[in-house]
Amino acid sequence: MPSNLSSRKNRERAAAVFIPLLFFQLALLSFQIQNPAGVTPIKMLVLAIQAPIVNVSSALSNNIGTLWSRYVWLVGARAENEQLREAVRQLTRLNLSYEQVRLENIRLNRLLAMKEGIPYATVGARVIARTPGFLSNVLYINRGSRDGVEIDAPVICADGIIGRTVLVAPDQSQVQLITNPDASIGVMMENTRTLGVLSGSGSSLLDLKYVSNTEQIHPGDVVLSSGFDTIFPKGFKVGEVVDCRKGEGVFYQIRVEPAVDFYHIEEVSVILTKH
Amino acid sequence: MKYLFLALSSFLAITAQMIAGNNFFIFNFLDLSLILVSYYAVYRSRTQALFVGSLTGLLLDAAMGWPLGYNGFGRTLAAFIIGLSWKRLNTRESWVRFAIIAGASLASSASMLILFWIMQRAAGRLFIGASILQALVTSFITVVLFTAMETYRHNQANKSH
Repeated sequence: MPSNLSSRKNRERAAAVFIPLLFFQLALLSFQIQNPAGVTPIKMLVLAIQAPIVNVSSALSNNIGTLWSRYVWLVGARAENEQLREAVRQLTRLNLSYEQVRLENIRLNRLLAMKEGIPYATVGARVIARTPGFLSNVLYINRGSRDGVEIDAPVICADGIIGRTVLVAPDQSQVQLITNPDASIGVMMENTRTLGVLSGSGSSLLDLKYVSNTEQIHPGDVVLSSGFDTIFPKGFKVGEVVDCRKGEGVFYQIRVEPAVDFYHIEEVSVILTKH
Repeated sequence: MKYLFLALSSFLAITAQMIAGNNFFIFNFLDLSLILVSYYAVYRSRTQALFVGSLTGLLLDAAMGWPLGYNGFGRTLAAFIIGLSWKRLNTRESWVRFAIIAGASLASSASMLILFWIMQRAAGRLFIGASILQALVTSFITVVLFTAMETYRHNQANKSH
């Protein structure tokens, strides 16, 4: 009997906590409709606390990987045959690590070439974390306010536009990718200079909106930033049209494939000033 | 003090997932925070599970750059479903455990989809596909972890007798 009572009490207590918590979450969402910036301090606090852990772990994972591949595998090699086999493996791994360095060099060279070609002050950054969940649409980079990064700074790579910074801590920033459902960019078609608004759809493709169905748009057409959103500079590649259909209204339904492979970005550039 | 520890474990789960997700692709489908919520709902108290669910959800929203509340709502619901079902169903069967956790995970995603729809936010088919895959992977790993933990505890108890 007492255990039944205690179980009932627990159930009632859980229900008494459950309903207010759900209402709290809904109230928080409603509050952000009217005041989207109202929760920025909370997000900033989370970012500031996470930043050192993520930075250290990112550096640690790199160092442990190097240590593991160069030294730990050699421990325990006793017989000569074993040593020779190990040496072959070691050389293969070294070769692989040199290959990684070579590929990184190519990527950094491309980034540098792009940086020299744009008339803005930029800072290079490394991607140090992605958000939990497959539909992350957010990246973390190892540059923050100490490096001159500000909120709404455009983040680009050699292939095109990646997104913009939405939260900036002293040594780390959160980058909202253009695939994020909350992201939009003012764009234009490279050939016809037709203007439109490109929005994230939560999937790997983007939606190009407000393009009149009297315009000539075809799959393969290149989409560039128009500069009208006052965040992204004009003329950067954003993607290519992959699907274009006449919608029910006066606008096309256009799907755009981003120019950047968001799942494999390692180095990026942040534009510090657009002046 | 107890709730400070809950907050700390929630924070560490989200941070660990961010770091792991950057290094191992599979961690994008393994929901560490739901495993933590399940642990509290099953082995601690439902109230603690609700608190952890709510907090991990908010932290997840902050980490994902979403408006706060989507994951918070979903995780709180998942914590409640797991806590409620675990006591009422025969959870000695592994498949029942799997079904409870997968069901809670899917209910969490479904509630978020409804919130997306209410708030007119795009979600897409990818969200549905990723949610199903995440529910399956997370439930499988959670059942394996819980079974291993219970077996270990059982063996320790037998040794002490």
